[in-house]
Amino acid sequence: MKDGGMQQKLRSEAKALLEQGKVDYIIGFEAGSLKFTTTPLITSDKDDIDRLVINPFIVNNLSVYLSELKGRAGIVVKGCDSRSIVSLLQDNKVARENVVILGVPCSGIIDLGKVEKLVGKDRDEIDDIIQDRDRVVITVDENRREFPIREVLFDNCLGCELPTPQEYDILLGELTSAASDEDKIASQKKINSLKNIPPEQRWEFWRSEFDRCIRCYACRNICPACFCDRCFVEETEPPWVLPVPRWQDNLVFQVIRNMHVAGRCTDCGECERACPVNIPLRSLTREMYDMVDELFHYKAGMDKEASSFLAAYEATDVEDFIR
Amino acid sequence: MVDYMTQESEWEPKLLGFLCKWCSYAGADLAGTSRKKYPANIRVIRVPCSGRVDPLFILKALRLGFDGVLVSGCHPGDCHYQTGNYYARRRMAITKKFLEYMGIEPQRIQASWVSASEGEKFTEVVTEVTKALKETGPNRLFTDERRRNATKTTE
Repeated sequence: MKDGGMQQKLRSEAKALLEQGKVDYIIGFEAGSLKFTTTPLITSDKDDIDRLVINPFIVNNLSVYLSELKGRAGIVVKGCDSRSIVSLLQDNKVARENVVILGVPCSGIIDLGKVEKLVGKDRDEIDDIIQDRDRVVITVDENRREFPIREVLFDNCLGCELPTPQEYDILLGELTSAASDEDKIASQKKINSLKNIPPEQRWEFWRSEFDRCIRCYACRNICPACFCDRCFVEETEPPWVLPVPRWQDNLVFQVIRNMHVAGRCTDCGECERACPVNIPLRSLTREMYDMVDELFHYKAGMDKEASSFLAAYEATDVEDFIR
Repeated sequence: MVDYMTQESEWEPKLLGFLCKWCSYAGADLAGTSRKKYPANIRVIRVPCSGRVDPLFILKALRLGFDGVLVSGCHPGDCHYQTGNYYARRRMAITKKFLEYMGIEPQRIQASWVSASEGEKFTEVVTEVTKALKETGPNRLFTDERRRNATKTTE
């Protein structure tokens, strides 16, 4: 990813969009307060445009803001984020004419946690992290070390099927290609190891994971596919789950959340990153994603004209489990 | 609520059935009026359509301690509302598969097509499902560790 070029193009396009009145505001990324990180920037001020950045740390799926904001928006998206937008279009949560999509052909987002583990240093002690196609150069105390990029990318990026946005108005760089099968398998490691243990142990695993859940709902709030006006966990008649964070209720909440986002979740991985107690939520969302694909040959956010997965059916849908 | 302290030998599975009012509920009615016998393990909730059944109902039933859940509706093409059972079919497919991945025994989540004229089939379904649940054993999925251990020692 030639980030410098893309960043420049983004700034000039974003400025033009605001000046010509084509959008009311721009949703993008700016440098974060912590080293290497980025943070969302939502602005209608032309003077803020030079704060916009594109680098291998633009982790957030900004489409989550679309269904809440009024007016027209120019939005910076990666491949997975663009599919979230397509999914929102399918559900009529966003009107196509109200968004100008600035597509970033993505070559993967760098997981700072993995970088820290790899070089054994805290992020504050690292001088520089530079992505160079399939390599990453990490500099610590003027000591340059090179690694294959896949060692530092987020798990969901390893298995990325669509790095170039599915839907865009302006493409900020050149097309990028999908992950290799080998990398896809690597991204599924956790799920496959879970599948290989007996069901009782699997249940035990999830029981202990959800024991930690504090029900902060960060996973729900960060998710662009979780857009119900009133979430079922807040319903009181009947109370489907109790508000106290007990593992039973936590688990029910998360399973139903996964049901609701089936066919909408694009495996962007935001829920897992948002989780303050590190529950491997992607091992649920990704499995649902693959299940929907395997049983119904449906991938979320690929076709804006198609119906949303659970609002459609085929006469030939699988029914071998029905008596 | 299920009594977790019940001894294994006396234990009978509790099955919750969501039956569509147009087909399966009428099918169950026919089984009754025809004096067909089926296990009394099923507790029936009548729903307007199998499409009314939210995966949340299924999970809530298991959470409350039911040993299994049966969702039954009209055969494909027979839905009173034309398409409700097709939506239900899709939803049930992912619910069942996903809960299986979580570690819930597949026997606990059951589905069937039973028409209003299939009283015989209804008795067969309930008999088979009850048998499968007996083999699977009591639902202790949502019991707490402490309680689960306590139950173990009394067995």
